[in-house]
Amino acid sequence: MAEPTTMGIPRDGQEGGRKPSFFGRSEIGAAYVLLLPMLVLFGCAVVYPLIDTILLSFTDLRGMAPGKWIGLRNYTTLFGDSNFRAALSTTIVWTLVVTALSVGIGWGLAIVCSLAPRATLVFRVMFFAAYGVAETVSGFIWLGIFRPNTSGLVNAVLAGIGLDGWTNAWLGNVSTALWCLMAAYAWTQVGLPLMTCFASIQTIPKTLFEAAYIDGARSTSIMRYIVLPLSMPGLRVAIFINLLNALRAFDMIFVLTGGGPVRSTETIGYFMFRESMLQFKLGYGAAATVVLLLAVVVISIPAIIKRTAEAT
Amino acid sequence: MNTARSLKRAARLSSGLFIALAAGSTALMSTLGGALAAPKGELVVINWLGGSELATMQAVEKAFAAKYPEVTIKEIPITWSGDARGAIRTTLMGGEKVDILIDTWPSFRKELVDNGMLRPLDETWAKYAWDAKLTKSWHDLGVVDGKVYSVPYNYGDRSGMWYRTSVLEKAGVTPPKTWDELLASFPKLKAAGVTPFVVPGKFWAHAEIFETLLLRTAGADASRKLGKHEIAWNSDIVKTALKKWREMLDAGCCADVPTMLGTDWDNAADITLKDEKGGFFLLGMWISNRAEENYGLKPGKDFGIVQFPALGLGHDDASSVDAKSFEAVTTGQNPEAADAFMDFALGAEGASIWAKAGLAPPSSAADTSAYGPVIKTSNDVVAKADVVFVLGDRLPAELGDEYRTQLQKFLQDPSDANIDRITDALEAKAKELY
Repeated sequence: MAEPTTMGIPRDGQEGGRKPSFFGRSEIGAAYVLLLPMLVLFGCAVVYPLIDTILLSFTDLRGMAPGKWIGLRNYTTLFGDSNFRAALSTTIVWTLVVTALSVGIGWGLAIVCSLAPRATLVFRVMFFAAYGVAETVSGFIWLGIFRPNTSGLVNAVLAGIGLDGWTNAWLGNVSTALWCLMAAYAWTQVGLPLMTCFASIQTIPKTLFEAAYIDGARSTSIMRYIVLPLSMPGLRVAIFINLLNALRAFDMIFVLTGGGPVRSTETIGYFMFRESMLQFKLGYGAAATVVLLLAVVVISIPAIIKRTAEAT
Repeated sequence: MNTARSLKRAARLSSGLFIALAAGSTALMSTLGGALAAPKGELVVINWLGGSELATMQAVEKAFAAKYPEVTIKEIPITWSGDARGAIRTTLMGGEKVDILIDTWPSFRKELVDNGMLRPLDETWAKYAWDAKLTKSWHDLGVVDGKVYSVPYNYGDRSGMWYRTSVLEKAGVTPPKTWDELLASFPKLKAAGVTPFVVPGKFWAHAEIFETLLLRTAGADASRKLGKHEIAWNSDIVKTALKKWREMLDAGCCADVPTMLGTDWDNAADITLKDEKGGFFLLGMWISNRAEENYGLKPGKDFGIVQFPALGLGHDDASSVDAKSFEAVTTGQNPEAADAFMDFALGAEGASIWAKAGLAPPSSAADTSAYGPVIKTSNDVVAKADVVFVLGDRLPAELGDEYRTQLQKFLQDPSDANIDRITDALEAKAKELY
C-alpha cells in the first residue's frame, strides 16, 4: 500500500512502478491553485517593481524627463561618487554596531529575564513594544531626547546634575550624531533578540544547569558552554533579522538627522532617498537601490541556505 | 435720383452696420459667454498643503463650490516628507488626471513645462482680465519660454527677521535698520542670555541668510543671474556674500556649529518666539501664523518682523519672496472649471479668504483691512522692493540640495580657503547641470 502523505492521498508511483514523486499530481495542482493568489500579489508587489527598478538603474531618468538607456554608467558613477562611498562605509559601521548593540543587549536581557520569567513579564512586553512602535514615532521620541538646547532630555539631565559643560547639540555634531542615531535605533531593535533568545534559553533543560553546578562549573563556563550554544537558534534568528533591518534602516535617520550634519549620517538607504526623491535622479537612485538589494541578498542567502538545509 | 441713391447708400450702410453690430455682438456675447458661463463637472486638484494653509485652501474651495454648485471638487491629497515634488511627480507620472496643481518652485514649473505637463494660460489671462488684479511682475514670475503658466495666489517675504518684543526690550535692543546696528545688537543680546541670531542649519533654512546677504551685497539682478548660472558660483559676488555672513559669525551672532547644524526652522521659531532664548531669526511669513496659532502671541505686540538691515551697497531695496501659484495641468478634463477656480481665487471673495488667514494674496481685489500689523509691515516692504524668488527654489533640485549642504560646510569652517572650496564645488555641480 502506498504511504499516505500529509493530505491523506497515496503518493504516485510507489506501487504502480511510475517515477516516485514527493507530491501527487493532484496535490501539485492544488498547491499551485492555493499559491496562485499569493504568487500574483508577490509578482505585482515585489517582482514587477524589482525588475522595473533594475531596468531603471540602467537609464538616466531625472525628474519627469524621459530616461535614456545608459548601460552601466550609473553604477560606474556610483562607485566613483565620494558621497556614495561615504554612505557605504557609514552603512557598514551602522549595520555592525546597531546589530551588535541590539542583539548583545537583547541577549543579555534575555538571560536576566530567564532567571525570573514571571517577574519580568511586564518588562519583556515593554521592550518588545518598542520593537513594534513605528520607527518614525520612535524617531520623534528620540528627537525630543536629543534636542540641542536644555529642552532636550539628555541635556536637561546633564544640566540638572551639574554637568552643563557636557551638554551638546548631539544630532548637530558630526562626531556624536551617528552614535546617537545608532543608540536610538538599537533601542528600537532590542525587543526581538530579547524575545527569541529568551525563548531559546527557556528550552534549555534545567538538569543541564544542575549538573553543571554539581560538577563545580563556574558561571562563566555555564554561560560559555551551556547558555551561549543552546541559545544560538534564537540568537541566529535575531542577528539575521536585525542585520537586515539595520541595512534597510531609513525612517529613524530621516526623522533624527536627515542624513546630516553635512551628510555624516547618511547610509545607503538614505543616499538612495536623497538621490531619488530630493535630487530626482531616479535612475541613479535606482542603481543605489540595486546595490543595497544585492547587499541584502548576499547576507540573506547563506542564512536561507542554512535554514533550508536544517528544514530538510 | 439723389434721394434714391442716398436711400440705397443708407440701406447699404445700415445693413453693413447691422452686420458689423451683429458680428460685434456675437463676438462680445461669445467673450462674455466664455467668461461668465457657469462651469460644470468635476475639478481635480492636487493638494499637498498642510496645517492652516490647507485649511485656508479648503475654505477657498468650499466658497468656490458654493458659488458654482454644478462643480464638484475632488482633492488628491498627497502625503510627503522632505520635498513634495517627489510625490507630485509620482502622482502625475502615475497618470492621474489633474486640473489644478499648486506649485511653489520655479525650477519645477520649468520641468513640467518642458515635459508638456502644463497648459499655457495666456488666453485665459486675457479672457479673465487678470492684468487688472495682478501686476506685471506677478505675471512675469510665471513666464516660461515666453508663455505664462502660473497664477500666484499668495506670497511671503523671505528677507524679514523675526523677533520677540520682550527679548529685545530686556536686552535694550531696538530692531536694527543698519548692518552696524545689527552687529552692535549681538553683545547686548548675548549679555541678556540669548543667542543673538538663531541659524536653523539642519536642513535648508540656513540658506535664507545667504540669499538675503547676496541680495544686499549684489542685488536682485545678480541673484536672478546666479539662479540661471549666468554668474559663476565661484565668482566674487558669491564669495562676498559668504564673507559678509562670516562677519556676523565673527561678531558672535550665533550658537556653536553643532547647535546651528542641529537646529531646524521650527526649533528656531520655538527658541526665539516661544522660549525667548533667541534674538532674531530669518524665515518666511508662515511664522506669523505659527506664532499666533501655536504660541498664542499677538502680532505687533508680542512679536514682530523687521527687514534684514541695510548694508548701504545700493541694493537695500531687494527682497527675497516666495509665492504659491495655481497651474493648469494638461491632463485635466475640465479646463473651464480650472480657469474659473483660478479666477475665483484671485477675485475679491477668494483673495480675501487668504488675507483673513494672514496669508498675503498678490491680487489687488483682496480686502487687506483684515491684515495684522506684522503682515502689513512685511507687505508694505515687499510692495516697494525689487523682489526675487527664493534662490534655492529656482535652482535645479540637484544643485539646490548641494547648495544647502555646501552652506552647512561653510558654517563648519567659514575660512577663505573653505569658501573657495565650497564655491568651486558649487560651480562644478552647476556646470554639470546647465
